[in-house]
Amino acid sequence: MLQRAEILGVRDFYRDYFAVAVLIGAALLMVGAMLGAGRLIRPVRPQAEKYVTYEAGSDPVAGWGQSNARYYIYALLFLIFDVEAVFIFPWAVGLEGLGTFGVVEMTVFIVLLALGLVYAWRKGVLRWA
Amino acid sequence: MNPTIDYHALAPEIVLTVTVAVCLLVDLVARRSELVPRLASLGVLGAIVPVITLSVDGANRTMFGGTYEVDNYALVFKGLFLIVAYLTILVSFHYIGEGDYYRGEFYVLLLTSVLGMTVMASARDLVTIFVALETITIPTFALAAWRKHDTKSNEAGLKYFLIGVISTAVMLYGMSVVYGVSGANKLVGIREYLVDTNEPALFAVGVFLTLVGFAFKVSAVPFHFWAPDTYEGAPTPVTAFLSVASKAGGFVALITIVNIAFFPSKGSWQPVIFVLAAASMTLGNLAALRQTNIVRMLAYSSVAQGGFMLVPLAVAADVSSNSAWEGVVVYLLIYAGMNLGAFAAVIAVARRTGSAEISSYAGLGRTDPALAVMMTIFLFSLAGIPFLAGWFAKLVMFRAAFDSGTTGAVILGVVAAINAVIAFFYYAGVGRQMWFREPDPAVERTAVPTPLTLNAAMLIVTVGVLALGVYPQAIARLGELAFTPG
Amino acid sequence: MDLNAFLILAAVLFCIGIYGVLARRNGVLVLMSVELMLNAVNINLIAFSAYVQDVSGQVFALFVITIAAAEVGVGLAIVMLIYRNLRSPDLDKIDQLKG
Repeated sequence: MLQRAEILGVRDFYRDYFAVAVLIGAALLMVGAMLGAGRLIRPVRPQAEKYVTYEAGSDPVAGWGQSNARYYIYALLFLIFDVEAVFIFPWAVGLEGLGTFGVVEMTVFIVLLALGLVYAWRKGVLRWA
Repeated sequence: MNPTIDYHALAPEIVLTVTVAVCLLVDLVARRSELVPRLASLGVLGAIVPVITLSVDGANRTMFGGTYEVDNYALVFKGLFLIVAYLTILVSFHYIGEGDYYRGEFYVLLLTSVLGMTVMASARDLVTIFVALETITIPTFALAAWRKHDTKSNEAGLKYFLIGVISTAVMLYGMSVVYGVSGANKLVGIREYLVDTNEPALFAVGVFLTLVGFAFKVSAVPFHFWAPDTYEGAPTPVTAFLSVASKAGGFVALITIVNIAFFPSKGSWQPVIFVLAAASMTLGNLAALRQTNIVRMLAYSSVAQGGFMLVPLAVAADVSSNSAWEGVVVYLLIYAGMNLGAFAAVIAVARRTGSAEISSYAGLGRTDPALAVMMTIFLFSLAGIPFLAGWFAKLVMFRAAFDSGTTGAVILGVVAAINAVIAFFYYAGVGRQMWFREPDPAVERTAVPTPLTLNAAMLIVTVGVLALGVYPQAIARLGELAFTPG
Repeated sequence: MDLNAFLILAAVLFCIGIYGVLARRNGVLVLMSVELMLNAVNINLIAFSAYVQDVSGQVFALFVITIAAAEVGVGLAIVMLIYRNLRSPDLDKIDQLKG
């Protein structure tokens, strides 16, 4: 039953990774050069405020994470919508074959997702209190 | 090319989805908070209508390339889930309305979970089973932690969540191996692979991990330890829902996947189910004997009842007819009713005494005879006393075990018989408190009348338990129908 | 490429995840370990999907990703709730219910 399918030739596989390695090397070199140049040119005047996580002024929760607890709910909302968008990509590829039916189905999907956003909005989650 | 969609077959799911959306919106704009539970119960009753019309029609409807099937089997369970959902709403109405709970959201989450169950009844491939199972469980994590400021409820939610995600991960790992070895996602495809080929050992690993995942979901020993804590900490209506509906959801998934997919590979699943059944019955009952809190006692009793339900499943491969499968279904249907009734009675008693200790049931027969009679009926039905529904459930279970006649099945039958006797003691212990003990003057009683909805729920279950005890052919026929191709 | 390489990677990841779930006491880190387990499943699914030339494994992986996000969302909410009530994400302190 199982049929051995060639995923990639071994040699091609490593050749592809060689390109990745070259790219990583170039990136490191470039970042190092730019940061190094900055270090040589800039003046150094340390201040305590410069070292807090959010310079905007909200304090991170002490202890287990470097983030304000209030950010979590935005992160969550973003995460859910961002991840659910994954269903839209295969749909977009097959849209031509699906026609009106596909459009209607995706509208239903997005409306149901949007309901969640409406709920969050009405509950005042989106306001920074 | 448009996929053809049979809207009649999908009507129960569509009605539920629309109800969920409407409830969410109404909750945001309406001032009167009873509106949402009323809408929710209407929606559930509305979803039962297409289930009935589909059963009358009787034709098998297959959709989405064979991954979704609406047949008799699916319809029996859809009916069960919707009725349980309706009763849960009745039981929750005052409990949730009187606490400082988010009332609207409660029903939205409850119905979302029920939606997952109706999908589960029809799911015929690994992906759909997974999605349905998660639709059932994710809302219940939030429901278990519903009392926001009560750390016990928080703890219940967290424990349930952690066990839920870990069991999901284990189950998925097993499913990925099953998929990889068989090359099929549809359950029928997996079965075809097993019939054609001599499966490698890796397949058994996949089956084992999948079953372990399900064992967590249905709280079978040794994967049951979360159940008593979660049941005790969660709001009692949620506990009732978890111990009946989500457990049934897990069982439906288990029955579907074993019956359709894994069946030919008897060696890989039968021993696992056998051990789970024997361990759940024995350890569940022994732990229940020691409990002083009635919710914890019912939690362990539901672990043990789960073990009884697994008995026909464990012997199904050795019974030539469908009677073992019918046994599981009949047991599940009857268990759902009587357990829900018992929890409804616990809620009614807790409204008066504010306590869930078994000692607070002392003298209930004198202070509230009607409630005590109903509680006694539920408990005796769970114990399997003749001429109550639970007796017939036990009967079909034993019949399946002794029909198959293999040594293993007989051993399992004997273990089940011993356990049925042990179970009688703790169920009867509560009965003794209610009827033969003086009311404890130290326990404060408030004279709040039991709300109409709660009484209605208990009355419906009582009538059901009595009627099926006298006329069990009705439910036996349902079980038969479930495995008759339409 | 050999299928076994992917399967071994997935198995190792899965085991690290299980270890993390059992050994970590911080609620957030337990959640991350669970994610590790789920991603091990995804690797398995994708590798098998390419091996047996069947697309449904990839569809399965998509559903695993999205549902894991929903699951972690609810889980984080519960951990935050406990953090607010107890001022600690330490799971050892959550032991009122014993059975």
